[in-house]
Amino acid sequence: MTDELIIQLENLSYTYPGSTAPALKNVNLQVRRGEFLSVVGHNGSGKSTMARLLNGLVFASAGTVKVCGVNIAETEDILEIRKRVGVVFQNPDNQTVASIVEDDIAFGPENIGVERAEIGRRIEWALSAVGMSEYREATPARLSGGQKQRIAIAGVLAIKPEILVLDESTAMLDPKGRREVIDVVKTLNKEEGITVILITHFMEEALLADRTVVMNRGEVALEGTPEEIFENGEMLQTFNLSLPKISVIAQKLRSAGISVKDVLAPAALAESIVENFVERGISAGQFKGSAPQSKTTGGEWDIEISDLSYVYSKKSPFASKALNGVNLRIAEGEFFGILGHTGSGKSTLVQHLNALIKLPQAEKKFKMKKPKKGKPAPVYPHISVGQFDLADKKCNFRALRAAVGMVFQYPEYQLFAENVFDDVAFGLKNFNPGLTEEQIEDAVKSSLEIVGLDYDEVRYKSPFDLSGGQKRRVAIAGVIVTRPHVLVLDEPAAGLDPKGKSEIMELLHKLHREWCKTVIIVSHDMDEIAENCTRCAVMSKGGVFVCDSPRKVFARAEEISALGLDIPVTAKIAREMKKAGYEIDSDLTVSGFTEAVISAFGGAENA
Amino acid sequence: MLNDVTFGQYYPAKSFVHKLDPRTKILALIAFIVLLFCVRNFYGLAACALVLFAAVGFSRVPLGSVLRSVKGVLFILLFTAVLNLFFHGGEHLLTPESWFIKIYRESIVFMCFFVIRLFLLVMASAVLTLTTTPVSLTDGIESLLKPLALVRFPVHALALIMSIALRFIPTLIEETNRIISAQKARGADFESGNIVKRVKAVIPVLIPLLISAFRRADELGDAMDARCYTGAVKRTKYKKLKFGVRDFAVALIFAALIAGVVLLNIYGSEIFPQIYDFIKLK
Repeated sequence: MTDELIIQLENLSYTYPGSTAPALKNVNLQVRRGEFLSVVGHNGSGKSTMARLLNGLVFASAGTVKVCGVNIAETEDILEIRKRVGVVFQNPDNQTVASIVEDDIAFGPENIGVERAEIGRRIEWALSAVGMSEYREATPARLSGGQKQRIAIAGVLAIKPEILVLDESTAMLDPKGRREVIDVVKTLNKEEGITVILITHFMEEALLADRTVVMNRGEVALEGTPEEIFENGEMLQTFNLSLPKISVIAQKLRSAGISVKDVLAPAALAESIVENFVERGISAGQFKGSAPQSKTTGGEWDIEISDLSYVYSKKSPFASKALNGVNLRIAEGEFFGILGHTGSGKSTLVQHLNALIKLPQAEKKFKMKKPKKGKPAPVYPHISVGQFDLADKKCNFRALRAAVGMVFQYPEYQLFAENVFDDVAFGLKNFNPGLTEEQIEDAVKSSLEIVGLDYDEVRYKSPFDLSGGQKRRVAIAGVIVTRPHVLVLDEPAAGLDPKGKSEIMELLHKLHREWCKTVIIVSHDMDEIAENCTRCAVMSKGGVFVCDSPRKVFARAEEISALGLDIPVTAKIAREMKKAGYEIDSDLTVSGFTEAVISAFGGAENA
Repeated sequence: MLNDVTFGQYYPAKSFVHKLDPRTKILALIAFIVLLFCVRNFYGLAACALVLFAAVGFSRVPLGSVLRSVKGVLFILLFTAVLNLFFHGGEHLLTPESWFIKIYRESIVFMCFFVIRLFLLVMASAVLTLTTTPVSLTDGIESLLKPLALVRFPVHALALIMSIALRFIPTLIEETNRIISAQKARGADFESGNIVKRVKAVIPVLIPLLISAFRRADELGDAMDARCYTGAVKRTKYKKLKFGVRDFAVALIFAALIAGVVLLNIYGSEIFPQIYDFIKLK
């Protein structure tokens, strides 16, 4: 890092056309060459507007933006600025222009007139910088989210920018993809000396930077090194931000009188806890947390899946096996988690539950094959949900779909009606054509209210005028309006900021208590599963790897890590402590784990 | 519905035909079609068929896959064949005089000629699309259109539009499938009812799809701006197509084929005169 100021924002304000409230108010900020700066803030805090101002996609309403000393409002050639400030955006799908990776990366250099041989060299360099060299000829559409985003970074790098801005580039990625992108960005900063501005709403990521700026309602609310931000931990709550889980644990332990250090690495926290144990003279051993929750035994709406296999694009050169002999039982009353990384078959599995993908036997053309001589009879998959037998052609699939609600990933993208009322009523009218106006109104009203929206305020509004979080609530209301017994949600919290995430999870628990018997969530966020689910299944390569309570599943941390999956932060700390001989047995929720640790200290003192 | 994750008909394989320059294949297809319409007798047609089947053989695409793409136009093929059969005059009447429908030997010969010609035409186009990725097809078309830039035809902009369209087809197909599934899960019915009902059922899919397409276009526009796109002429081009030995070989084969067809057109009647007389076209 040098002392040269590469970016200077002076009294910067910006108001979007047609809006009255400014998105940015009087922002002053300086970035030094080679610095790794993170900007963190809730949705709508103005952090993305800042990214757009930095490379002249929009121009300031008041104040100045200087890049390398040049005021970008006065420059004649905005390309000179854009060459220096590369921006990577949020959605990895909407940044590539070509169907082949190298063609896409060539796009930037072609635009600024770089000669051919040099473009070739830049492609090679950019791809190796993001660790994607072997994907030069690949098709972006077939890559994972993290890989697509790394290609987008490479596409910007090929222009050789001095400053790399990532505008919430990790928000839509799974934890694995997020880690990939962050690792690449750190390397670029350290080894290539590129100035990085990382815009995010994940505190965990923000605190990896040299310096963090916290935005709140268009203003800079806090600024400092990660340590300085930590000291103001309580203030973050008021900015709709949340501390990393690991810091929450550390804080809780400290307030119970256990003096652990503020660290971000689970191993370091574990070490710090163990030091405390040693100091207080508590010897190694096993410590039990509170008793596990009572088990649900099942009931009328149990789900049974046996021998389920599924192949996409059968009989084409692109055939791919999505499911391979899945056996699973989900009892009524469970809050069930299905986890696994992208492509492990989780989405295909849940789409079978309400016959969006029908079993082969339920297809009209299906005929039972006679077993060939000398070969065992073919095994047919079987699924039953409550009294519905999904392998039966005569099964009432319409009634099944009304009983098994399905909320897809980013459900707000499926809204279509003129107003919120019509959109929510859509499913209800489809399933029950005979309902009276009053019945429909009652049902819509109560479903909008349970998702936390004001019925009278939103009913005539266009769904497209709502905020992101509200849209998602309307979309969920449109599914639960039929009062399904089983509710399935694919990545319900994807793309939301931490506050939005915890609100959605609270909503699901409320629905689980009051409205739906069984809730099934598909997720790749291990912390989310550990925190919320009574039981979970880990999918891998189209099969169920293990299915049990989070406590037992994550006890097999080594095997799960070997599948390329993350484990919850609580499980990580517990694993590290176990190495030192201190075995904490808890349900792996943040509060359960902390209580178990505290009681381990307390229990010893009493003895 | 839209179950296939792939689009177009590209059949991945490593073969002589796959490795040809796309321009060679496009030009060869054009030449082949022109030839098919210049051929005046079955001998020439046989020569064309020979070259085409050799191409299929060298492409390592199973014959079944090639024939499957002809299946789509089977109806048109049969329809025109029947029309030709009934409305083509001749000298040798095959049906009894008293019949209202009159079929002549010449009309059967002509029908066969016509069907084979059309069949070869469709099959040749299928060979091109089966062995060339949409991307290299676009590259080829762009390169072939380049001379038009001299008359200010926006070749580059057209190529970029095609490239972006190709890039987003799989994304939008995936999105369509997801929206269809989501609305089905809410009880939408796309498979029954009359026309009006079915058209209405499409609205809950179409609107979210359009909105999403516009949102994507917006974001892509920003991303392109941020990557210094201006649409200016001074752009450079990284990928350049190059002709190789293979393309030269194909050029030779086609030169031979053209010469062969011309010779057969002129001297065809002297080869097996009896047979020729029987199958000659009017």
